[in-house]
Amino acid sequence: MQAYAVEMKGITKRFKGLVANNRVDFRLAKGSIHGLLGENGAGKTTLMNILFGLYQPEEGQILINGVETVMNNPTQAMNLGIGMVHQHFMLVRPMTVVENIMLGLPSKRGIFLDKGSVEASLIELSEKYNLKVNPKAQIRQLSVGEQQRVEILSVLYRGADILILDEPTAVLTPQETKELFKILKLMRDDGKSIILITHKLEEILEIADEVTVLRDGCQAGGEKITDATTKSELTNRMVGREVALSFAARPACTGETRLVVEGVTLKDAHKLPVLNGIDFTIRAGEIVGLAGVDGNGQKELCEVLTGLSPLTSGRIQLDGQLLNGKKPIEYIREGIAHIPEDRHKTGLAMGFDITTNLIIKEYNSPRFSRAGLLNFKAIYANAQRLLHEYRIKASGLAAKARELSGGNQQKIILAREISSSPRVIIANQPTRGLDIGASMYVREKLLEQREKGVSILLISADLEEILQISDRIAVIYEGQIKGILENKNVSIEKIGMLMAGVESGAQAVC
Amino acid sequence: MQSELLTQGFLISLLAGTIRTSVPILFTALGDIFTQRAGILNLGLEGIMLMGALGGFVGAYFTNSLWLGVLLAILVGTLFSLIMAFLSVTVKANQVIAGTALTILGTGLSAYLYRSIFGVQKLPPQVEAFPALKIPILGDLPILGPVLFNHNILVYLALGLVVVTYLVLEKTTFGLSVRAVGEHPRAADSRGINVPLVRYLCVMIGGAFAGLGGAFLSIGFMNTFLDQMVAGRGFIAVAVVIFARWNPYRALGAALLFGGANALQLRLQAIGMPVPHQFLLALPYIITILVLLSVSKKAEFPAAYTVPYSRSER
Amino acid sequence: MKIKIKNLLAGMVPSVISISLAILVGALLLLLTGQDPIEAFQTLFWGAFGSTNRIAETLVKAAPLMIMALGTSIAFKSQLWNIGGDGQFTLGAVFAMLVALNLSFLHPAILFPLSFLAAFLGGALWGGLAGLFRARFNANEVITTLMLNYVAVYLLGWLIRGPMIDPKGHGFPQTPLIEEGLRLPLLLSGTRLHFGIIIALLIILAGYIFWRSTVGFRIKLMGEGHHVARYSGIEVPKTIILIMCISSGLAGLAGWTEVFGIHYRLMDDINSGYGMLAIVVALLGNLNPLGIGVSAFFFAALSVGGSTMQRMVGVPFSLVSVLEGLVIIFVISRVVYTQWRDRCAVRTFNAGVSHQPAGRDH
Repeated sequence: MQAYAVEMKGITKRFKGLVANNRVDFRLAKGSIHGLLGENGAGKTTLMNILFGLYQPEEGQILINGVETVMNNPTQAMNLGIGMVHQHFMLVRPMTVVENIMLGLPSKRGIFLDKGSVEASLIELSEKYNLKVNPKAQIRQLSVGEQQRVEILSVLYRGADILILDEPTAVLTPQETKELFKILKLMRDDGKSIILITHKLEEILEIADEVTVLRDGCQAGGEKITDATTKSELTNRMVGREVALSFAARPACTGETRLVVEGVTLKDAHKLPVLNGIDFTIRAGEIVGLAGVDGNGQKELCEVLTGLSPLTSGRIQLDGQLLNGKKPIEYIREGIAHIPEDRHKTGLAMGFDITTNLIIKEYNSPRFSRAGLLNFKAIYANAQRLLHEYRIKASGLAAKARELSGGNQQKIILAREISSSPRVIIANQPTRGLDIGASMYVREKLLEQREKGVSILLISADLEEILQISDRIAVIYEGQIKGILENKNVSIEKIGMLMAGVESGAQAVC
Repeated sequence: MQSELLTQGFLISLLAGTIRTSVPILFTALGDIFTQRAGILNLGLEGIMLMGALGGFVGAYFTNSLWLGVLLAILVGTLFSLIMAFLSVTVKANQVIAGTALTILGTGLSAYLYRSIFGVQKLPPQVEAFPALKIPILGDLPILGPVLFNHNILVYLALGLVVVTYLVLEKTTFGLSVRAVGEHPRAADSRGINVPLVRYLCVMIGGAFAGLGGAFLSIGFMNTFLDQMVAGRGFIAVAVVIFARWNPYRALGAALLFGGANALQLRLQAIGMPVPHQFLLALPYIITILVLLSVSKKAEFPAAYTVPYSRSER
Repeated sequence: MKIKIKNLLAGMVPSVISISLAILVGALLLLLTGQDPIEAFQTLFWGAFGSTNRIAETLVKAAPLMIMALGTSIAFKSQLWNIGGDGQFTLGAVFAMLVALNLSFLHPAILFPLSFLAAFLGGALWGGLAGLFRARFNANEVITTLMLNYVAVYLLGWLIRGPMIDPKGHGFPQTPLIEEGLRLPLLLSGTRLHFGIIIALLIILAGYIFWRSTVGFRIKLMGEGHHVARYSGIEVPKTIILIMCISSGLAGLAGWTEVFGIHYRLMDDINSGYGMLAIVVALLGNLNPLGIGVSAFFFAALSVGGSTMQRMVGVPFSLVSVLEGLVIIFVISRVVYTQWRDRCAVRTFNAGVSHQPAGRDH
């Protein structure tokens, strides 16, 4: 029996009474790639943060290379050869690659920095593992893929043999993912042990040697991956029940054209186009999915369609009426609902209670106010009704938004936006960070609105989601629509190519 | 009167005065560069400077040693800034409120202690201030000599600290940590940097420098302590740092600009310019606002400016 | 209603603790400097409440504080840090006086409300300027409002020595007195207690209603962050200016009560540091109108008693500033206590949980 690189036994960790990890066992064999699988909130990141010394467990032991250790802080973990590539990059944007690599490390020149020698060994390292990056570039000038390479380099530079990668493919195109996996295999063959945190089953099957599954903070299985391992088997472990991952077939959309977006262009502060001649339409009762890697203009498109950013040129028409040039409040009144990407900062007032969060867009309307004073009776009645209708779980209407789970927070937003009887819903990453149950609920609600004739733009980085509920799929790349496809027998490969900006002669439909 | 403006003597005294009046702001601003770079807005500097001014004066008065006065001022400034560090880092309080509290406390405490120590006297107690130190050879140069090389030693110290501040921030591992902590504390934390410690140190460096700035007022520029002697310089120092976009050399330039405005109004008042002197007195404050207007849009504040860091929150 | 009062009382506990701690530290300071703390605080208390006249003085001082602190609380609720109350107070007084002196041909019944409006306008202009700078140029309002304080001091200094000087005042730096018909009527003869306190209480009441209005809601929503405000259809820059105008207009009104109720003219020191004090009052009052009313009264008493204390037992008045600073520090530090309590609670909770047999098969 070979010694394990990492052995975690009976790890328990609680936050404010909530159990994030409950007696979890985890073993990483030397020189292997180990998948850590689980839904959002299953406790994967917590477990790895414990291994990395960011959190201290209440119970359990940790053995590194067979030696029991207590991890008090990341420095200690790093000294033991553990390195972590975080999901949200831990890079300081205005600093250069070299400076980021040096950060927190002792220098050969005492208190003074030693850029020259660090740069030299960095170049050597990047050639060894095929991780090309310009050491003198500032982080903010780099693409997401390059930034990830810097993160990996930084971990390797610190001499890590045990690498933890937290959802590394979430921000990559399918092609970039392939590239990353090649690098990971190269590192494994070089004797490194790698933990890959993910909720994507395909990735586990493709690259992992072993897998540990977490569900609700508990371990739900761990084993070698063989050819016999199947997706559904892993899904059952991960979710703990049979999940219908698809919706019933629905009739094709036959509504009239409602939202028309024509030549929409938006330039940023540096006069560079972030949206470049966007054209598409959405019919009544239709869901158009917008696929694309994060940061290709989705956020900006959302801002433009909800009136938050004035566009540089182009037109937006709603049922034949010109919208652009109007104020955001008029967009809201015209019936453009918006489920924003960032629940915490944008979609909700975290310090407000449920009741008031349900009226932040309509507090001024005659429904909720009279002669400039709030009509608390109507406001409470509205909240009561929606709390019930959307099955929002909370200690009461006076619960603050920040005290709720992600799923319930999203339900407040859904309740508010849908109850305003919109004509159009712009849903930006509506299921990000939610578990499967909550995600399915959100999708069901969107389909329900589709039935009622609402036009929906679904922006998502999750291709599965787009394929599941869209009528048509548009692909955005660098602020341009690279193609619009009917959602019938489309291949993921084709969408992947478009997402990477490769135009494969896909002709736009409509 | 027009001719009087253009005499050599007037110009020399104006320029030398500019340097002298800018030094207390410069000291405080240099320290505040560390504080702000680490992501903390310390509006308590006004109160810390007052405490430093008192500390410097008391130290010098009772020990008859100006240097012990300076030392006491630095010590008092550092200790007093600990309150700000505690409130902003440990308590994670709103920094504007914490700073305001510290300024109110410092204003009250310095006046209270001064009255308690010296009582009410007809003639305010005085010390012999730092004498001007003429640098050999250079001090004899025409114009440049009296303008640049005939100041007390604290002025030279301030100028030297500009370079030191730059070197520490840009060329040392500590400086790199400070910048990272102000930009992305979580990243710094994940690289093994002790974020609270760095922030405490930066607030304390700011306090030490502000104490020094205050001491310059009481035992370098004047020779006594007055309740109102800081007169907003602590706040101006904060504005200077923003104006200078966290760079020590630019901070020197900005401090000179403020010193210049003040020196100009003093001298114009002395020769009886017809402009109401209140306008000249208000000038540095108006310039601060104008400067803030011109730089704020493009100034890239440290990303974690005024944001407390907590490991468990995301 | 019963529950409401109970909540209110419970909400006051931290404030009372903060004040007690501040007084304790103040007493230590007195001991260290060879003073008798009991005598000092006794004199202070007596100075504030010892006679009808002293209570009247305390109320006189409380009136502008209430109005100004309410203004401060409106800005603070929206996370705008208006600390320029002093300048806005001065500008309010100046504007009101300009109206009173230059439009004296109007009937007092018209001129009186006009001066009230002018005071609001003057304050709103000064603070609105900082709001405009913030909205248009992203200039930190903390610094700009502060700088405008100093500018206001010199502006007033110039006006009362130049354009607005009393021609019959033998060159004293002050304006002429306003007509008697414009002065705020006295409530209690033999004291300085004037109608301003009634106005202040009415404004506090208006503040209570304000937070139940749609504009109040909009301001609270701004305090939750500009992202969510913008998302909700609020025009953030305009609202920033609006908030600053309301907040500083109230400071201007405070200047009006002070000048039209006490001094009847402009002088160098019409404002005795109300701005900073208003911040303390607003914070101790938990940014809530009723709380502000109570804490304004408290700090007014401290201030009035503090002067007596300096006169009678020779304890420097600056002790009052020390207490003010300490009160804020203790108010904001109470979070530490709550955190500590929560941590203890979690620990006991966890201890309880780990005794249970935590099987994996649940």
